[in-house]
Amino acid sequence: MKKLFLSTLLFMAVSTYAQTNFEKAVTDKISKMEQAKTPEDFTAVSNDFARIGDKEKTQWLPYYYAAQASIEKGRNLMRTGKLTELDAIAAEAQNNLDKASDLSKDNAEIFILQKMIHNLKMMVDPQSRFMSEGMLGADALAKAEKLDPENPRISLLKAEDIYYTPEQFGGSKSKGLEMFQKSLDQFKVYQPKTTLDPNWGKGEAEYFLSNKP
Amino acid sequence: MQTFIISKILLLLSLLMGIFLHAQVTVSGKVNFKGKGVKDISVTLKNTYDGATTDENGNFTFPTEEKGSQILVFSNAKFVEVEKPITIANENLSINSDLKEQISEIDAVVISAGSIEASDKKRATALLTPIDIYTTAGANGQISSALETLPGVQKIGETEGLFVRGGTGTETKFFMDGNLVNNFFGNSIPGIKSMDRLNTSLFKGNVFSSGGYSAAYGQALSSVLILESIDFPERNSVDLAISPLFINAGFQNVNEEKSKSFGISAGYSNLGLVTKLIKFNNDFTKAPESFGTNFNFRIKNKNGGILKYYGSFDTNKIGLQAESLEANIDFDNTNLKGKNTFHNLSFKKKFGQYLLNLGSSYTYNSSFIALSNTFEDEEINPNTIDITGNYLNTKGTLGRKINKISAVRAGIEYNQSNEKTDVSAAPTPSEFKDQITSLFAETDLGFSNNLSAKIGVRSEYSNAIDRWNLAPRFAMAYRISKTWTSSLAYGIFYQNPENKYFGSNPLNYQKAEHYVLQVQKSAEGRSFRLEAFYKNYKDLIKTTVLDYRPVAINNTGNGFAKGFEIFWRDKKSIKDIDYWISYSFLDSKRNFQNYDQSLFPSFAAKHTLSVVAKKFVTSWKTGFNLSYSYASGRPYYNFQTDANGDYYLNKQGRLKDFGALNFSLNYLPNLGKKDSKSFTVLVLAVNNILGQKNIYGYNFSTDGLRSKPVLPSASTFIFIGAFINFGIDKTQDAIDGNL
Repeated sequence: MKKLFLSTLLFMAVSTYAQTNFEKAVTDKISKMEQAKTPEDFTAVSNDFARIGDKEKTQWLPYYYAAQASIEKGRNLMRTGKLTELDAIAAEAQNNLDKASDLSKDNAEIFILQKMIHNLKMMVDPQSRFMSEGMLGADALAKAEKLDPENPRISLLKAEDIYYTPEQFGGSKSKGLEMFQKSLDQFKVYQPKTTLDPNWGKGEAEYFLSNKP
Repeated sequence: MQTFIISKILLLLSLLMGIFLHAQVTVSGKVNFKGKGVKDISVTLKNTYDGATTDENGNFTFPTEEKGSQILVFSNAKFVEVEKPITIANENLSINSDLKEQISEIDAVVISAGSIEASDKKRATALLTPIDIYTTAGANGQISSALETLPGVQKIGETEGLFVRGGTGTETKFFMDGNLVNNFFGNSIPGIKSMDRLNTSLFKGNVFSSGGYSAAYGQALSSVLILESIDFPERNSVDLAISPLFINAGFQNVNEEKSKSFGISAGYSNLGLVTKLIKFNNDFTKAPESFGTNFNFRIKNKNGGILKYYGSFDTNKIGLQAESLEANIDFDNTNLKGKNTFHNLSFKKKFGQYLLNLGSSYTYNSSFIALSNTFEDEEINPNTIDITGNYLNTKGTLGRKINKISAVRAGIEYNQSNEKTDVSAAPTPSEFKDQITSLFAETDLGFSNNLSAKIGVRSEYSNAIDRWNLAPRFAMAYRISKTWTSSLAYGIFYQNPENKYFGSNPLNYQKAEHYVLQVQKSAEGRSFRLEAFYKNYKDLIKTTVLDYRPVAINNTGNGFAKGFEIFWRDKKSIKDIDYWISYSFLDSKRNFQNYDQSLFPSFAAKHTLSVVAKKFVTSWKTGFNLSYSYASGRPYYNFQTDANGDYYLNKQGRLKDFGALNFSLNYLPNLGKKDSKSFTVLVLAVNNILGQKNIYGYNFSTDGLRSKPVLPSASTFIFIGAFINFGIDKTQDAIDGNL
């Protein structure tokens, strides 16, 4: 009896140790991603997350973050006008996101990233890709909204879309800012399920609101 | 006691483990590809969190607390994954690795000699998507006219057809989802060009080949245009188009799963009103009038097979009176009644590594032309030409992937034509029947991401010719550097003499041999291509007039075409302006049909230039499009027959240079109204805005003494129209197209 108790204790100790190690690794890499600046930085952090995912095999989060790092790399390149590389980066992000989605079905956060991947692909050639990628992106965001209507990141993506859409096309800076405000309000009450769950985006909403034209 | 010992041992063990765990070593090294360090390679100690990513120079370094036998994995999508067993003791390790390129579809070089692809499959620099076509000034929304702004295509105003690199209009064939489209253009009368029968918006992409095309296509000496229809519409919608020229209405229905859709559309067009508003060079006794309707459905089955159907019916009428060149005749009268139906069915399905394509198209076409003359208000010399034809095309192709970028495919194609020509002045109608059976096989070989080849062969048997031909084709592409690629294509192409030339003399296939060499640079937002070609024609037909119609007597004709073409498209240099320039130089001679000697063909210009520019002004919700076409003067010839019935060149000359500046604008009034139920595009287009006087050729009197110019129907043509779509909100489309 005592033996059993002891080995259980030991097992628990080991698994707790592993758990904290996973948490520590993911937390570390999230902060590494936050500090990433160049496309190379994002590649490195994406690889780090994929490595953790490959080792754990049951955790969706590492693959989620690996995909997010690739998307951030894509957005980074997009801002510098390097559009032709986006297809390959979107494929890289999709690869990791698919792994995440295999481990966690019906996950709003995954659909949110899916929308961002479609955005990347669309930017390669908006005119001819809108009908496909634009629609798929909208579908993904609608699925996310159904699963988690109060998720502030959904409002954030919507706000971005509206903000950057010229007024003549039904977008506007002011409507965009309203949406950013909504997103920020949601951030104030939104609680990630665990400390490791996605919790990004508040800074961006604040950035837009503090830089009001 | 026992448990005490065990717990002691465990304590000791964990203590030891703790020491071990904190005994870090550093693993470092360099990753090379072809002797050079590569960045972005993920280096992982398998099944651990430990690893790093290589830097600019291919170097990596990471600490680890793992010990013993481990595996180091080097991975990156562009390279083949490498695993290296290592043993970690207490000393730092240095491990280098060499990588091999991963062959992949995305990175593989594309063979592009002779072809311009406008599908979204591979390249971001896609050309002539439907939106491009609609926004090309002077193209009137037609695929064929928009293609005239690309290199290699002649701007011919008096006859329909794509005249490519010194080839005649009939040397270009059109395919929809793999099936031959007979009568791609509407029925017409000489001197007046007819429009495309298939609507631009039916297609999601196209491959236009101006030479050296694949063995899957045949019976075209010069060129093929391969059109790919859209799979499923995005939403249910109703479309309306209104202009002084035409009205058109249609709807599309699609189920939510996007597995079934159907649509119907109908249109009526009449030039009558416009002939009253614009000055026409033709005297219409019956302004061009047409009615057309079409249906489509698409079904996707559970296993991913897609069945597509498109069918259309149309009729058209036109009547023309022209001053006659003949003595004792005041006017020549021409009246046309055309009827056409076209049906196209295709099925595509993947079975594991195999891809099956089945398809069939059927066309019935009837063109009834009534000819007569007027002399002193009396109608004389009535004659009618009645041509009816039934055409069937069936094709099956099976392909298999060999590895990521290599594949083999083979197929069989069957064409049947039954054509009857009844000229009332001739004693008996002439009937023509032909069945062509073709076999083809082709292989795509990817040697590396930088080198690929395509080898194919096609063989055809035509009843009317009664022999087999054999046409080998070859193409390859090599990537010179990151942005530069080169490709070349060679092939033999056969085409039967046109049905109307068959008579009692035995005929052979006409033959063309293509050599195409291309270099291309594509970088962010800009692309440049330079293509040189040589085309050798053999066994072209020679004709004589028999029973009021030209008939081929033998295959002793020949010719060549050579030249080079430059294409430049730039979406980047000038803000918000997308423009392209194409220039073609052509040198050609042929001795064929009624030519009595080798001559520069009358349907070809030596220098052709096209400039197309587009700009969308967001604040005005308006797109402005300009295009300029130039072609150096084409030669014209008049052939007469001598006492033996042989042709001789009676008169020749050169037309003045062709030039036209076209302008169009698209105004989108509903743009931005977020919840608007309809989306409207108003179009104003002016072709040849400067009113340049262009001449397409000369008509001669029977004796060759008098002539008059062939003119465009209207020197300057103005079009206004409204296109309204209910159901689909294209606002987003417009936004993203102009970001």
